Amino acid sequence: MLKMKMKQFLTAVAVSSACVAAPSVAFAADKGASAIEEGKELAFARSKGNCLACHMVDDGAMPGNIGPALIAMKMRYPDKQKLYNKIWGTPETVVEDSMMPHFGANGILSDEEIQKITDYIYTL
Amino acid sequence: MKKTLLVALTLGATATAATNVMAGGVDPEKSRIQLVEYFKAKNPNIAPEEYINGAYIYSEDKMMQWRAAEEFPPYLDSVDAGEALYEQDKAVYDKCFGSDVTQIRAKYPRFNESTQQVETLEGQINQCRADNGLKPFKWKKGDIAKLSAYFAYEARGQKINVDASSPGAKEAFNKGQAFYVQERGQLGLSCAKCHTYNAGRKARSNTLSANLGHTTHFPVFRAKWQELGTLHRRYGGCNKNMRAKPMKAQSEEYRNLEFFQAYMSNGLEINGPGYRE
Repeated sequence: MLKMKMKQFLTAVAVSSACVAAPSVAFAADKGASAIEEGKELAFARSKGNCLACHMVDDGAMPGNIGPALIAMKMRYPDKQKLYNKIWGTPETVVEDSMMPHFGANGILSDEEIQKITDYIYTL
Repeated sequence: MKKTLLVALTLGATATAATNVMAGGVDPEKSRIQLVEYFKAKNPNIAPEEYINGAYIYSEDKMMQWRAAEEFPPYLDSVDAGEALYEQDKAVYDKCFGSDVTQIRAKYPRFNESTQQVETLEGQINQCRADNGLKPFKWKKGDIAKLSAYFAYEARGQKINVDASSPGAKEAFNKGQAFYVQERGQLGLSCAKCHTYNAGRKARSNTLSANLGHTTHFPVFRAKWQELGTLHRRYGGCNKNMRAKPMKAQSEEYRNLEFFQAYMSNGLEINGPGYRE
């Protein structure tokens, strides 16, 4: 009996939260913006991309200066895939003695996370 | 413009040379001179002797703050505690290290020809205690760091003078150097990437210190630790930051690394213990 009630309660919670969540799905135009926002969060997080450790990025506070500033990315990477590959760490992008970690190759980030970060970095 | 280009080319050439040399078995003295020349080319305005002050040499502001902190250094109580530890078992330490406390620190690290192993100051403190029926200290912090700090304090101003002339010592040096340049951990970093190629640059707001002079000021009192820690404690923390598996304090790997690093600082002043962020 108690179990039954619990189930009903959980269903109610699930339905109501689905209703709350629905509006964000409705605004399809915002989806791109929020994905880029997500990419920015991943790029800044110390345990994720931690790009600020080495690069000046956007409005990130106290960036390092080991790597080049991440600006004019579309000009530097006309082919967006090459930027993705650079972050992922495909062999042809690797520079000897560079500090840049191989985020995909070494399993630091998932392919999806790298895609989000690439989307964000590409806006800079 | 021409001058800038020339400097850039020289730097590039030196960097390449250093990489090549570090890869194989080399003469320690040749390697040390190359490192000194490399840093001279990288920062012509910083004299080699200044490298004993770590990353602070790269910023006037930070140097001023650090000097202010060193005026009433937070490690002095620990140095006093180290002296008390020394006095308590002085008879034993006299037997192992001789009776002149100022002549202990500069002997280490050194290569022991009979065991064919690198001996460190901390390692020998505990060896001495064990050989004489005293309980060895725990590694990395606490009493071992306090006693080591006292020995360093008493030896301030003396020069690092590591002998790596025997074949065994050369091999230990080369193993230490190989560890130093080896990429390890998930981030694919090596000691050399930060502390040689990018020394002076910033990771977030932290300036990367140079390999040259690294061992002169240990043990250190870190603001982050709020206490003293040994060189091997720092190695472990560094390896963890690299997302690599840290070795044990006093492991052969870390002893060889210390031997290599200390040799690279030959001729520089002992200025431990030091205060660090």
